[in-house]
Amino acid sequence: MLIELKDINKTYDNGQPLHVLKGIDLTIGRGEFVSIMGASGSGKSTLLNILGILDNYDTGEYRLDGRLIKDLGERQAAEYRNRMIGFVFQSFNLIGFKTAVENVELPLYYQGVPRRRRREMAMEYLDKLGLADWATHFPNEMSGGQKQRTAIARALITHPQIILADEPTGALDSQTSVEVMQLLHRLNQEEGITIIVVTHESGVANETDKIIHIKDGVIGAIEENHDHNASPFGAGGLMK
Amino acid sequence: MITDLIQEIGSTLRGNKLRTTLTGFAVSWGIFLLICLLGAGNGLMNAFIGNMDDYVASNSMRVSGGWTTMPANGYQDGRRIHLDEGDIAVTEGREFADHIDIVSPVTDGLSATLAIGRKTVEGSVCGVTPSYMDIEKVVLRSGRTLNQADLQQRAKVIVLSSSQAKALSDGDIDDIIGQWVEIQGVAFRIVGIYVQDESSWRSFSYVPYTTMKGIFYPDSNVGSIYFTFHGIKGLQESEAFEKEYGAALKTRHDAHPDDPGALWIWNRHSQNIQMSQAKEIITIALWILSLLTLISGIVGVSNIMLISVKERTHEFGIRKAIGAKPRHILSLIIAESVTITALFGYIGMVLGMAACEIMDKTIGQKAVNIGFTEIHMLEDPTVGLSVALEATLLLIIAGTLAGLAPARKASQVRPIEALRAE
Repeated sequence: MLIELKDINKTYDNGQPLHVLKGIDLTIGRGEFVSIMGASGSGKSTLLNILGILDNYDTGEYRLDGRLIKDLGERQAAEYRNRMIGFVFQSFNLIGFKTAVENVELPLYYQGVPRRRRREMAMEYLDKLGLADWATHFPNEMSGGQKQRTAIARALITHPQIILADEPTGALDSQTSVEVMQLLHRLNQEEGITIIVVTHESGVANETDKIIHIKDGVIGAIEENHDHNASPFGAGGLMK
Repeated sequence: MITDLIQEIGSTLRGNKLRTTLTGFAVSWGIFLLICLLGAGNGLMNAFIGNMDDYVASNSMRVSGGWTTMPANGYQDGRRIHLDEGDIAVTEGREFADHIDIVSPVTDGLSATLAIGRKTVEGSVCGVTPSYMDIEKVVLRSGRTLNQADLQQRAKVIVLSSSQAKALSDGDIDDIIGQWVEIQGVAFRIVGIYVQDESSWRSFSYVPYTTMKGIFYPDSNVGSIYFTFHGIKGLQESEAFEKEYGAALKTRHDAHPDDPGALWIWNRHSQNIQMSQAKEIITIALWILSLLTLISGIVGVSNIMLISVKERTHEFGIRKAIGAKPRHILSLIIAESVTITALFGYIGMVLGMAACEIMDKTIGQKAVNIGFTEIHMLEDPTVGLSVALEATLLLIIAGTLAGLAPARKASQVRPIEALRAE
């Protein structure tokens, strides 16, 4: 199993303790296309942050590719994030004063890849996502879909084990949302990349092969979803 | 990696022009002010204190007779004291042999008209010895100075000042050497011309002491005694020596040894010490002012660094999420602040030095008449390159240190918190 979570607990203490994750047990295999679904406040983003080693958990065990991820130093965590995880955010999180290609090559910069090689690879990925003509544009010159595709290119460039997408369609219109979900689907199918999408939209979740419902910090149902057209929300790919 | 870092900084700086400009301005302005201040201070100091060593031997003393102010040995006060040959003997004698080197008697200046044919100039003629020329550091322009033979033969020779020579000559002032100049009916042959300091307001010409005594001052009086001394350190020793020497002479003339008026003593050594003390105080004051200016520059830099780091928290969060380690963030911030401070510090330094040059060319050339002579308000108001570089370096280091605390904080903040920041 690529991801193994055992009895993960997380409590935020902002004046009043808030028990967000109450013993999460979850396994996700290599090459799966999974969504984590839940209402806001259900703990799904916290779970994703823990999966992405952006945040700590209090008790339990999280193994990523067999390695125990617990109480890592910032340096070690950064190393794992850089090598194993690609992030796709709702608000894209591109650096505004860098061009598309500069944004895409940034993870390689932190790996110490030489500049020319970095640039080549970034161009390759932008081309793959149909953004070759936009390489020298700044994020504010691109549409939402283009920005999200740039962010996906940035997530892919390090050949990560998993892509974690936090509400990847949250800031996009329905047409673009469909395109982005199809892109993720294709990446999962063709490249075999494990993808975990966090969403509160059932239409988005319906695009994935497995839907994990989370409610009040515990996992409710895990639903296999191989027939994407079965759901009334998924018909024709219209999600909104 | 280095070129990568430079590129990374380049894109960050280009992407944040306003912030870069503001930080840079704070740095440039600090250094600019600092250099202008130091330059103007140096100029003032050079103009008002000057470098006395150029003009007279700094360890020399001049003594001449005065009027007694205290009754002593049965004499009333208000008596005129004239120095005589005996005083020279005491000065040269065993009592002060440990300290006193060269001794030269000098006659009082004789105000007279110097004439070559129909050309005349007013001047003051002094009888001196060859050693006087050394004590006063008289710089020869052309011809020769007075020598021992002139003194022995009571030769009627004269060394003119350059301004006198100019007034008396027809064309090239150096051609005047060898001509005869008439002073109160006595003809003297011009043997040399000395360079007259611009700041001296009276023009002296020098003839052998013996000649002068023989013709114009046939009494046994000595106008004043000049001498150099050594082995005296500090103001206290200098004043004690002056007192001891003065007392010896005063006793000879039946004046009270503590009578302040009986002798007129000009102790250039003490004066120099006082001047260098004044110079030190001004220098310290200047440095304090400069450091205060520098501190305001540093505060400006650190302020902007602080804001910059804060407003970039989200960006650092993104960088961390995609794999930036704390040291990447730290080195980025520090390299950026060093680049900004060094670049703009250099600009400020160059502008400051240019401003000093402009001061030199404008105010520095303006002479102010203070009655008996003209002085420059500023003289050479510039700062040494090393001082300028040191100040710039200091600012760079300080700016970096100022940026270090927020940079460390930014590098330690958890990515999830940084990503939440807006």
